[in-house]
Amino acid sequence: MLNIENLNLSFGDHKVLDDISLEVKKGEVITFIGPSGTGKTSLLRCINLLEKPESGRITLGGLTYDFGSITKKETLNLRRKTAMVFQQYNLFKNKTVLENVMDAQIVVQKKSKKAAHDKSMKELARVGLDGKADAYPHQLSGGQQQRVSIARALAVEPEVILFDEPTSALDPELVGEVLKAIGEVADSGMTIILVTHEMSFAKDISDRVIFMDQGRVAEEGPPEQIFNHSESARTQQFLRKFYTTTH
Amino acid sequence: MFDIMTVFESFVEILKVVPKTLLLALIILVLSFTLGAMITYIQSLNIPVVRQVIGVLQSFLRGTPNVVLLYLVYYSLPLVLAWFLGLFNVTFDPTSLNSTAIVIVTFSICYSVFQSEIIRGALHSLDKDQIEAAQSLGYSTTQVLRKVIIPQVMVEALPDTMNAFLIIIKALSLAFLVTVVDIFAQARLVGAQSFSYLEAFVAAAFVYWGICVLLTYVIDKLENRMRRGYA
Repeated sequence: MLNIENLNLSFGDHKVLDDISLEVKKGEVITFIGPSGTGKTSLLRCINLLEKPESGRITLGGLTYDFGSITKKETLNLRRKTAMVFQQYNLFKNKTVLENVMDAQIVVQKKSKKAAHDKSMKELARVGLDGKADAYPHQLSGGQQQRVSIARALAVEPEVILFDEPTSALDPELVGEVLKAIGEVADSGMTIILVTHEMSFAKDISDRVIFMDQGRVAEEGPPEQIFNHSESARTQQFLRKFYTTTH
Repeated sequence: MFDIMTVFESFVEILKVVPKTLLLALIILVLSFTLGAMITYIQSLNIPVVRQVIGVLQSFLRGTPNVVLLYLVYYSLPLVLAWFLGLFNVTFDPTSLNSTAIVIVTFSICYSVFQSEIIRGALHSLDKDQIEAAQSLGYSTTQVLRKVIIPQVMVEALPDTMNAFLIIIKALSLAFLVTVVDIFAQARLVGAQSFSYLEAFVAAAFVYWGICVLLTYVIDKLENRMRRGYA
């Protein structure tokens, strides 16, 4: 369903993503792990073109886009098939919770107010925040704001939702509620690409885990393999370090 | 003797020119804001020479009193226009230029510099995160501008812009120098008719103050409404 071929991205002389290829099936949950600065977030940002790769191709929803020659129209088209959940939630701070979830449906998808309203309330109920519809983002906790941003992503019915370290900015006691919401999104059959440092969550939720190192895919496989029987010395080293420093 | 009735009569007379003064100030505000937005945009492009030229111009406008600029434009604009139109073989009588137009041109240019600073500051306060959120959802460039950037920049720029509006209203009291009748000029005329200058100026002061209080009240209400989502 989602197919990335030979994606390359550089910032100046620094090669951030080096010839990445990736195939994602519908309903699959893919998790990227790896040290900071290895291009996990950049890859997500390339998928909806917040970063523009130098070369490579992406196929999504039956259409193939060539990064080297992508037009403005194609960019919008690709973005409208994806949705992103950001580390810092990135809610519109001048809009209520409900308006945050409704806005893209009205502006981008040209839905009627009524249809957008009903859809938004449904998605807010899914993340347990229909009671906060009229609140403004600053009146909510970080965990609640992130759940709103998940509802906002769900409401546009994307082909895939990209989660960029969705719990990294949260206080530890708020992480659980957001992970629970992501788990429910995964259970509903949504295709998910997730970047996270929550290893036990990654192990539970993922169909496939990809370990990235220095802009390349170092190892990929089912969670069981990556976390318990990794074949790559680099993966083992990363996980060992991770568990000794955080557990 | 100071006569309170005369103050009242002057007040009523002066009120007659309030709509004209406000309209003039509003036109200047809109033009200077537009010009200011253009300056901000051009400066953001960082074109060598152009950047410095605008910088010097800004410094000049900031460093010269409004009166001086007003006279400068009053005596030069008609000639410049006549020369410019002459290039296209259009004959133009320099003495036919309306004083109101001169006031509008002078103050629009003068305040565009301040407006450009206001806009620059407001743009600066906008965080990139929300723009990216909109982009990631597929908003086009114009949709991002209309739905995300402008509403928030307006809120940020509103208090300063309204302050500029009040400053323009007060600065228009200089317009009588080139025969445009605003609140202050009207007060002089009313005062001159009965030689009761003090009463007329007391009335004028109250008119200015009244406008200021009223506008401040309206703007505060508006700002509170627009700022609801802000901590």
